[in-house]
Amino acid sequence: MIPTYDELVSWLPELLSGLSISLQVTALSLALGIPCGLVLALGVLAKGKGTRILALFLVEVGRGAPALVLLQFIYFGLPGTGLTLGSFSAAVIALAWNTGAYTSEIIRASLQSIAHGQREAAVSIGLNRFDELRYVLLPQGLRVALPALLGFSILIFQGTSLCFTIALPELVSRAYEIGSTTFRYFPALLAAGVLYACISIPASLLVSHVEKRAGSHAQR
Amino acid sequence: MTAADFLAILRGLPLTIALTMGAFTAGALLGIPLLAARQSRLLPLRFVSMVLIQIVRGIPPILWLFIIFFGLGMSYVPISPFNAALIGLSLIAAANMAEIYRGALASIHFGQWEASRSLDLGRWSTLVDIAAPQVFRVALPSAASYLIGLMKETAVASTIGVAELAFQGNQLSQSTFRGLEVFAIVGLFYVLLSLPVAWLSRAADAYLQAKVAR
Amino acid sequence: MTAVQNAGPLIRLAALSKHYGTHLVLDQIDLEVVKGEVLAIIGPSGSGKSTLLRCINYLEVPDGGLITVGPTTIDATRAASRSELSGLRRRVGMVFQSFNLFPHMTVLRNVSLAQERVLGRTRRDADERSMQLLKRVGLADKAGQYPVRCSGGQQQRIAIARSLALDPEVMLFDEPTSALDPELGLEVLAVMRELAESGMTMIVVTHEMGFAENVSDTVMIMADGKIVEKGPSAQVMRNPQQERTKRFLRAVHDR
Repeated sequence: MIPTYDELVSWLPELLSGLSISLQVTALSLALGIPCGLVLALGVLAKGKGTRILALFLVEVGRGAPALVLLQFIYFGLPGTGLTLGSFSAAVIALAWNTGAYTSEIIRASLQSIAHGQREAAVSIGLNRFDELRYVLLPQGLRVALPALLGFSILIFQGTSLCFTIALPELVSRAYEIGSTTFRYFPALLAAGVLYACISIPASLLVSHVEKRAGSHAQR
Repeated sequence: MTAADFLAILRGLPLTIALTMGAFTAGALLGIPLLAARQSRLLPLRFVSMVLIQIVRGIPPILWLFIIFFGLGMSYVPISPFNAALIGLSLIAAANMAEIYRGALASIHFGQWEASRSLDLGRWSTLVDIAAPQVFRVALPSAASYLIGLMKETAVASTIGVAELAFQGNQLSQSTFRGLEVFAIVGLFYVLLSLPVAWLSRAADAYLQAKVAR
Repeated sequence: MTAVQNAGPLIRLAALSKHYGTHLVLDQIDLEVVKGEVLAIIGPSGSGKSTLLRCINYLEVPDGGLITVGPTTIDATRAASRSELSGLRRRVGMVFQSFNLFPHMTVLRNVSLAQERVLGRTRRDADERSMQLLKRVGLADKAGQYPVRCSGGQQQRIAIARSLALDPEVMLFDEPTSALDPELGLEVLAVMRELAESGMTMIVVTHEMGFAENVSDTVMIMADGKIVEKGPSAQVMRNPQQERTKRFLRAVHDR
């Protein structure tokens, strides 16, 4: 049931180049999505009603619909409007939207978890709203949010596997392709699984370590 | 978008619900022995269950379904798409529910254990009478939001041909070339499905909060 | 005790009111504080004394009345503009019961931040001034530390230095020693006494009867959102006129 050594050697270049695409999509989605998450979090907390409703809409759609549907909406749906995207850009946009929606909730909760006294102190020493956010709330809020953001990054890495459905040659697509040409599905898919696990498991151990440290830091 | 199109998507609803409920029930039940193993005093048992949970969670759901459906089903034991999806999602749900239970267990104040010991309740009674009710109480909100997450996760079953919501949407968009509307409606279905769960969870939470008043 | 200078009032509250829902917390408060005066506000909990203090720098928005600090007057019945508020807050320093230092900044940054961002000082000038202030509260050696490494008393002294950094004309203290062990409270009270002696105008909500009697010039008793009695500290503390004041002081002494 497990791949032979020769099989592994011949598959590995394929699989690794798939993994590299998965990682690229992950990195770009996070790099675009987390700043969007911050903006959306501020939008949801904003005083203006219009801003708040728009931000809430983007967040609720990005979280409410399955990432798979979001992906297909952008890849198969947008061409109907005349805007055709390659599978790589579609993947990045969909997953960045997903990231923005989820991380905005993480960031919003972290900002709201900061003791009320911090805001009062910032106000009473005369800081304006922007400085209050920049120097007092965000540095503390992002520190609180860090473990959850890292945890979400692992989910997005795994979420890149959904791009199989829009023909992006990422890790799952490569493994499936190998399976369908050699009819050695199980070993090929297993090899891909091991590659995912090799990244996800250490990463999740790291996240729980960061979580523990953040917890003990807060207790001091 | 005609009524017929709408009905075509709607046909996927029963399978989405069946997959969600089936996998959640299996996961919520299997999560209990998995948690017990994870908290066991026997190191090997603890280690094996921890590795199992990590591996299940470390591999994307779509790949699990492929491993079960294409990897096992095509080569070793024939299996239907629905059963493959149900098994895969149940496995994932069990690992995730075990982690949710574990988080809830950790949140129980150590004073509860000390009080139980000072009353000489014994290990079994402490777990069943003292810990379990509190664990389920604390786990309820996370379990509910996981149920919503799992419901959306079932969309991956479309990739192995289970004719649920996302699958029907995919078929329809290919036959009508109107992906934008079709996928918007499919997405809306998932949002609508999550509303009663969110509402029930809030109601149950409020009820328990009033009853247990912690 | 410092001599109260004979000038017009630095702070004037006129008919200040505040509700929480239907509950009246401040009932038409009129109050004047002259430059250099140290006013202690005492009274039972829930009497509105903290709310009054927090209304003075608009941390709580009053429902009605006028607040005058120096040249700035804010009419609470209409929305205050951003520039009015920043003018008010620059003149008024505030020290909180729970210190509210910024935990992610060093002690020095805590004191320097507003000087750079609000007064536009350079980092170097701000740090230099901060070191002077930290020396004044006896904590120059803590400049590079983070607040968590300091005791509660030290944190409160740093908080005092932080609000002094904007050179306020008046300092508000909201039960500054209530969160501290008695011993640590003493070091904070010593700093406050030094500040009072230097001529700073101060309004102090406190449970420290010793401070009210010995350091403040004026004592004001509040109950149920109203001023019960106000006068020179020795007179109010030793020879109160109102029955409510007598009852409160007796309850405090009997403890």
